[in-house]
Amino acid sequence: MTLSTPAGRAPAKRARPHRPQTRRASDPMRRGKYLFIVTFLLPPVAVYAIYMLSPYLQAIYISMTDWSGLTATQNFIGFDNYVRMWNDDQIRTALRNNLILLVFVPVLTLALGLFFASMLNVGGRRRNAAVAGVRGSSIYRVVYFFPQVLSIAIVGVLFKYVFAPESAGGIINTFLSKIGLESLTRLWLGEPRYLIWVVVLVMTWSFVGFYVVLFSAAMQSVPRDIYEAALLDGASRFTTFRKVTLPLVWDTVQVGWVYMAIQAMDGFAIVHIMLGVNGGVEGAGDVLGVAIYREAFASSRFGYAAAIGVLMLFLTMTIVVIFMRVLRRERVELG
Amino acid sequence: MATVTYDKATRVYPGQDTPAVDSLDLAIEDGEFLVLVGPSGCGKSTSLRMLAGLEEVDAGSIRIGERDVTHMPPKDRDIAMVFQNYALYPHMTVAANMGFALKISGTPKAEIQRRVLEAAKLLDLVEYLDRKPKALSGGQRQRVAMGRAIVREPQVFLMDEPLSNLDAKLRVSTRTQIASLQRRLGITTVYVTHDQIEAMTMGDRVCVLKDGLLQQVDTPLNLYDTPANVFVAGFIGSPAMNIATFDIIEGGRAKLGEADVSVPRSVLTKVSDEGSDLVTIGFRPESLVPVSSEDVGGIPVTVDVVEELGSDAFVYGHPAGPKAAEQTDRMRSDTVIARVEPRMAPAKGEKIVLKVREGESHFFSVKTGERIPQ
Repeated sequence: MTLSTPAGRAPAKRARPHRPQTRRASDPMRRGKYLFIVTFLLPPVAVYAIYMLSPYLQAIYISMTDWSGLTATQNFIGFDNYVRMWNDDQIRTALRNNLILLVFVPVLTLALGLFFASMLNVGGRRRNAAVAGVRGSSIYRVVYFFPQVLSIAIVGVLFKYVFAPESAGGIINTFLSKIGLESLTRLWLGEPRYLIWVVVLVMTWSFVGFYVVLFSAAMQSVPRDIYEAALLDGASRFTTFRKVTLPLVWDTVQVGWVYMAIQAMDGFAIVHIMLGVNGGVEGAGDVLGVAIYREAFASSRFGYAAAIGVLMLFLTMTIVVIFMRVLRRERVELG
Repeated sequence: MATVTYDKATRVYPGQDTPAVDSLDLAIEDGEFLVLVGPSGCGKSTSLRMLAGLEEVDAGSIRIGERDVTHMPPKDRDIAMVFQNYALYPHMTVAANMGFALKISGTPKAEIQRRVLEAAKLLDLVEYLDRKPKALSGGQRQRVAMGRAIVREPQVFLMDEPLSNLDAKLRVSTRTQIASLQRRLGITTVYVTHDQIEAMTMGDRVCVLKDGLLQQVDTPLNLYDTPANVFVAGFIGSPAMNIATFDIIEGGRAKLGEADVSVPRSVLTKVSDEGSDLVTIGFRPESLVPVSSEDVGGIPVTVDVVEELGSDAFVYGHPAGPKAAEQTDRMRSDTVIARVEPRMAPAKGEKIVLKVREGESHFFSVKTGERIPQ
């Protein structure tokens, strides 16, 4: 005490001359401001806490019980569910598939999205403008966005038919045999090793449109004369894209990548609708989302399902954090 | 180094009937600094962008030196452009911005570095080479844009209002810098501006455009002394020329209300040949001298505002006399501007009589607006 008093006092003394002023000026204002902010912040935070945070926490607890989801009783069993998950081959398959989705769907979608967006906005060489989209770009813009308008369930049903056997009206197989490539026809949804790649294809198809629109918006916010300067500097389309367009829309690509990663970790709807609750033949197209659903509602093992859910939560969070870190670059300000 | 030739070059924007640039004929000498000037929408930027290859040429042709570049892509034209908003690449450093074109063309690294450094020294940018454009002031950005053009050592420089984003004081100093830099480098330059002072001070020759049509190309002083038509007369010069339409009366004089000026015989003949008894007369503020009211003729003016600049004094007034209202209808602007001896300016509200110095009136046909030579 005796030691700390003078030490603690000295700065207080020095600070005193300013203090009365700042206090008088800001205190009532500040209190009012806080009250104002809290009033508006409290309801949404409460809703968020009750409906978002508490289920997460509950799920973590449930994952440590043997709850079936149908009974009132649940017994705490510690990490048994996690141990079981570790030894579950089906979960391994699902996890592997999720990783495939995570790597290939974002890469394909973002690459295609960037390619299409740059062709739509700056790729063309038209007569009446040096910097413009390719011919008919306004039509393409709408066409690319179509899949986004379709509900994901419809996309699933649609592609079930696309990949169906010829006798069931499968478009791809019919087309292949019509042009004489009979040897390439397959039972696309009947071969375990094709399943996840079919899912990759369908997910890419259904997401690309959104990213085309997202990247188009970003590219349009780049002043036109920057593209014109690149043109005068002798940059080809590809160089313009790599050296000018891409760095200037990199922020948006990064955001897109994070969205995409989250969407790829899911994949529930497509797999469930196209391949069924067991993840297709031999469960080869299984993903974690479907596994959770299956365990919870088909096998009545809520505790186990919750454990898979917790695994997915941490995976998603880790991946997003890693993506944010790796992709961080200096922000570019336009203008 | 090269000449630039516009040969009936025409640009019609899709969906529009009138051309933005209407068969422009213009020959620019090797090493010349040519300024394209005109009010907004006159087609001056379009003309420049046609030369750059950023706008299509719908008819006619454009040549750089002996090469026909009419339909050549911009990168093959060997030109460099300075944009109004500079169009610097925001994600690149100053050095990378300046060296970008060279890098694309595959110039060796050492060579790029040497040329960038050289240009940076010329423009006083050496200490900023590692900065990004956002960390530069407007004037510095402007210089980087200049540097980007210089580094390429092109045949032609194109500048699209490069000074319009600078503040007034910086604009004046940069103006002289650009002009002297151009003289030093000796590269043919086409410069677009809407500011006639920039045009007059920078250009070897000035090209005045209006509504896509070429009005006159000449040296700044010739433009000032012998404007080819009413538009050029009113556009070039600050304060603007006084222009009004006068009735021709007996005795080699023209009258508008109380105002009375003499008209040379040669002009009278041409006007009567045209079958008209009206003539548009213009006189610059410095061509007017105050006289005593007893003299024959002159222009009676009531003083509204006096601008004393120290070195100059300008009187802004309106025509005096009973027929003043009729007079204002036939004047280009409703004020009469005269330069008077500084520190001896008349007071506000005073009525003075101004007379045009002999031989300093400009006469234009009422019908065509063309100059009538004396």
